[in-house]
Amino acid sequence: MARMRSLYGLLLEMVSRAAILKPADIASTRLEGFLNLQCCWRKDTISIEDCPFIEPGEESLLVSYDRRIVEKCLTCPRFASDLNEMDSAGVPSATLLKVLSTELLDLRVRLESMDGFLNSKTREIRFLHELSTVLQTSMDLDEVLSVAMTAITAGKGFGMNRAFLLMCDKDQQYLRGYLGVGPRTIEEAWHIWQEVEQTDLTLKEMAHYFQKNKLFSEKVKFQDILERLTVALDDHDHILTRSLYEKRPILVVEAFNNPLVSREFAEILGVDSFLIMPLISGNRKIGVMIADNFITQRAITHQDIQSIETFAFPVAFALVRASLYEQLHEEVEKLTLANRKLQEQQELIVKMEKMALVGRITSSIAHSIRNPLMVIGGFARSLLKSADVDDPKKEYLSSIIQEVRQLEDVLVEILNYSDSLYPVKDRWDLNQLLEDSCRDLQEKFAAADCGCRFELADDLPTVFIDYKQISYCVRTLLVASLENRSPGGEIVVSSRWWDNVVMLEIDDPHGNLTEDTWETMSPPFSSTQELGVAGVVGLPICRTILEKSGNSLTVERPQGGGMQYIIKLNLQKED
Amino acid sequence: MSRLLVVDDEASIRMLYAQELGEEGHEVVTAGTAIEAVEKLQGGAFDLILLDIKLKNESGLDLLQSIVKDRHDLPVILCSAFSCYKDDFSAWLADGYVVKSSDLQELKDEIRKVLAKKQNR
Repeated sequence: MARMRSLYGLLLEMVSRAAILKPADIASTRLEGFLNLQCCWRKDTISIEDCPFIEPGEESLLVSYDRRIVEKCLTCPRFASDLNEMDSAGVPSATLLKVLSTELLDLRVRLESMDGFLNSKTREIRFLHELSTVLQTSMDLDEVLSVAMTAITAGKGFGMNRAFLLMCDKDQQYLRGYLGVGPRTIEEAWHIWQEVEQTDLTLKEMAHYFQKNKLFSEKVKFQDILERLTVALDDHDHILTRSLYEKRPILVVEAFNNPLVSREFAEILGVDSFLIMPLISGNRKIGVMIADNFITQRAITHQDIQSIETFAFPVAFALVRASLYEQLHEEVEKLTLANRKLQEQQELIVKMEKMALVGRITSSIAHSIRNPLMVIGGFARSLLKSADVDDPKKEYLSSIIQEVRQLEDVLVEILNYSDSLYPVKDRWDLNQLLEDSCRDLQEKFAAADCGCRFELADDLPTVFIDYKQISYCVRTLLVASLENRSPGGEIVVSSRWWDNVVMLEIDDPHGNLTEDTWETMSPPFSSTQELGVAGVVGLPICRTILEKSGNSLTVERPQGGGMQYIIKLNLQKED
Repeated sequence: MSRLLVVDDEASIRMLYAQELGEEGHEVVTAGTAIEAVEKLQGGAFDLILLDIKLKNESGLDLLQSIVKDRHDLPVILCSAFSCYKDDFSAWLADGYVVKSSDLQELKDEIRKVLAKKQNR
């Protein structure tokens, strides 16, 4: 380029010197009278009427002979005609002048072309710089994709009509259509290009706008094509994988008659010519980009390919980095979650240790009380048996026996509650649990003149529970029901499940909880009065046990009468 | 009439059992420790043993194991203030398990059941 410029300067000087066959020179050649010279080039100064090629604003050329010769005369047809006239007349410098002027004109054209090329490359470098700034700094996969696709399709970028991005899946098994950008019809193209012209955004702004407003809608718009753009990576005959394995762009022309392109693939894209650009970072295959001029049908040039290839490398690199960052982010999130869970577990262990300690103390106290109670109550019963019918002490003894029995009942509940503080969970068949619990209470059923019918779900899944706890709850509910009902009829015990919840129901049409009992369905041990209600301490404990393990108990009075007890157990996973 | 050996570290409970079970027509012999129980067992024949699990510093379950080993035909009913030992494998060696209560009816029923079972062997 520099050499061309210096050659151009040299020729300019030579032409100027050669062309300066000023009027005096021509006169000296004594040919003036024989020549029919039309051009004004011979005059030192001219008027605006002399030269039709001097535009308004170029008036300085009227008095600048050298500049006028170079800028106007060389391309003036009158000047060319004058040179021919002079040449024919045998003016010695005319031939030289013709050669020099022709060469100069040629150089000028080449220089202008080089200038154009240089300007376009400067624009391209500036554009690539802008792109790489975004690509180098962005960790967001969507942002990288938006920048890449906008750059390919924007007029300020590579100006292609459409672009498709296909990404290799995590297992490197398939190349799958991921994103498509561009118009699908001429009308849409017209609308998009008008919009772009009106907004006059920079490439970065366009990419930002695209990410915010169009990324999703473009995916949806090209869904039908993207779904069909799936190629197995071991299919080495496919044009896409070929480009990927050979690590080079492939320009496909006459796609519908090209032996390298399957008819099906050409039909999916619906275009005769397209460019396939592999995206590779190191040895890692990232995917491929397909670009075409679906609307304008403009031929894809060698320069297009070179430019897009230059751009493909940072895109591939940015895609890898963004996807790695995304993975890292996911891993960090998992780790944070695990850490939080660990912390919760630690807190739970500390809490359980405290509860276990409370449980052990409660259990120890309860057992220490049980032996004396047994002795007191046992001897009271013994004395009562041997007392005379009219012995006044009989009443006291009965009172002692009754109080001991009540204390023993409370003791049982306390021990059950302390057991519930450290459950032992496993998978259990709840139907079996229901049947076993009812069988254990056969005598109580008979005493209450009550039948028992099962309606158990055949497909009930096993549930992760503490068998003793749930069995205790079921038995307590059955006992509460048997002790608070009018004789006759039957209790229906049923099981069913849906939506990860198993429901155990005890329906007693003859059931009738007293108001006192009903009121005890609040949390246990909230007042001494609750503990004083004989035989029903178990209900609030059941509720507490179930709620502590994330389950629930509801006691209802159906409109038709009777009582209904419902235990809801979550199908929780094993911790 | 059956001859029963009651093993419990609480004197009051031994006394209660002796009185109540005596009234039922049984001959009741008592022991307060495992050693004493072994001595009593060596000293005479018994139809049934009522054994407490917590015997101060000794374990009723250890004594149960040695009884089952040496006198496998002698039935044993465990009597305990703890219900949790029902789930203990070593407690399954016993012929019955009764949680202590001021109402001895359950214990009396269990004794009747185990003795009947022994007679039918």
